[in-house]
Amino acid sequence: MADIFYTKDHEWIKVDNGEGVVGITAYASEQLGDIVFVELPQKGMSFDQGKDVAVIESVKAASEIYTPATGEILEINSSLEERPEVVNNDPLGSGWLYKMRVLKPEELKSLMSEEDYNKLIGAKS
Amino acid sequence: MSELLNENIYVEKTSLFDFHNKMNAKMVSFGGYYLPINYAGGIISEHKHTRSKASIFDVSHMGQIEINGPFVMEAMEKILPISFSKVLPGKIKYTQFINSEGRIIDDLMIHRTNNENSVWLVVNAACKEKDMRHLKKNLNKNFTINLRDDLSLIALQGPKSELALSRVIPCISSMEFMSSIWVNYKNYKVLISRCGYTGEDGFEISIPNKNVTSFTEILLKNPEVKLAGLGARDSLRLEAGLCLYGHDISQEITPLEAGLKWSLDKERLNNADFIGGYAIKDELINGSKRNLLGFLPKGRAPAREGTLIYDSQDNLIGEVTSGGFSPSLSIPISMGYINSSLLDQKEVFLDVRGKKIPTEVVRLPFLSHNYFKKVN
Repeated sequence: MADIFYTKDHEWIKVDNGEGVVGITAYASEQLGDIVFVELPQKGMSFDQGKDVAVIESVKAASEIYTPATGEILEINSSLEERPEVVNNDPLGSGWLYKMRVLKPEELKSLMSEEDYNKLIGAKS
Repeated sequence: MSELLNENIYVEKTSLFDFHNKMNAKMVSFGGYYLPINYAGGIISEHKHTRSKASIFDVSHMGQIEINGPFVMEAMEKILPISFSKVLPGKIKYTQFINSEGRIIDDLMIHRTNNENSVWLVVNAACKEKDMRHLKKNLNKNFTINLRDDLSLIALQGPKSELALSRVIPCISSMEFMSSIWVNYKNYKVLISRCGYTGEDGFEISIPNKNVTSFTEILLKNPEVKLAGLGARDSLRLEAGLCLYGHDISQEITPLEAGLKWSLDKERLNNADFIGGYAIKDELINGSKRNLLGFLPKGRAPAREGTLIYDSQDNLIGEVTSGGFSPSLSIPISMGYINSSLLDQKEVFLDVRGKKIPTEVVRLPFLSHNYFKKVN
């Protein structure tokens, strides 16, 4: 069973066996509106937690994606190159952004649980 | 600090504010007003609906100004580079307020009415006060200048606009593009202008504030008509290559640089007998410093306002003033200025987050206009 964590910047990371899948939340995708372009990091690159690693462009504006955990990019969702709207349609599923090796699992404690995240966005709407 | 200042800025509501909320609009502040950026459908679907059918936009933030007085047209010609002798009564002209340096104070629509002593202006929201000052400074006390904030303004835009509006007000079918009429509707009067800011056929309708919600609801009963917000308005005007004040045109930019020479009356320009006339005539003889062009960056990344433009030798040659994703063409499009000495470049490079994107230079508009042409 994978654990899912959330950031205050509306990214999620699903961690299973030291590997994480990262995406943006349904709330974020809703707030951004129609997504028209996704710029993803290159496979093999490493980033510290909180570093901007990707950019999602909606019709309205460009938004940076901050990686929820320190680690190495293992795979990117290259289907988003042609079909960025998948992030709107299925942000928690096929609209994932990248997979990473989680190098500092203790960092995950600084992230939010689903319940805490729902409280955060509940307070906003 | 800046946040503290922002709290003190008063943001106004249009008369449709409660209606927008009821219709689940996502509201933003724009030009000093709360307005919908989009409704539930989202910007792309609102954009495409406008191109194929018809959409209603709340543009009540814009300034509607009525000027009355003897020989008002003559007086306005001293301020504007237009010739009323070539504008028939009931017709509308696109023009600009220009300062003595030949730069744009605001762009606007001016209506020649059926009353010789009255003209009607529609100006940009953020420029209202500046425009009023400019008018008061340059018109003598014989004229009354009235900002008609008792009226709301909605735009109905798209190829089905005439069909939809004529079901409510049948007489609009015979209207020419860039003309306007006052019409009695129920127990009030509306000013209907056949013009817009999307590149499509359409109308702008001035309605008393207290009647605007019911009128909008009646228009919405047409099966072709939906609501659209500022997001779609921006992508529609960008595809149509239309300038947005404060972005593509400003007090830094001249009408010639912005490709608006078509809107200046040739004879007036030759006589240079309006504010800024000499500066523009001079620019016409000596050439402009920069010119507004269209850009098609390769790939899918939008190149937005502020993106720098380089030539193939990596020299900085210009800057993007509006840019985004074109819902109709499904590609990124931008407009911006290039130094005029380098105008013959076919390919330039746009710097998007440090990547120099090869970009084709094109003429505006990106999408040809679909304005109404009367067939006799």
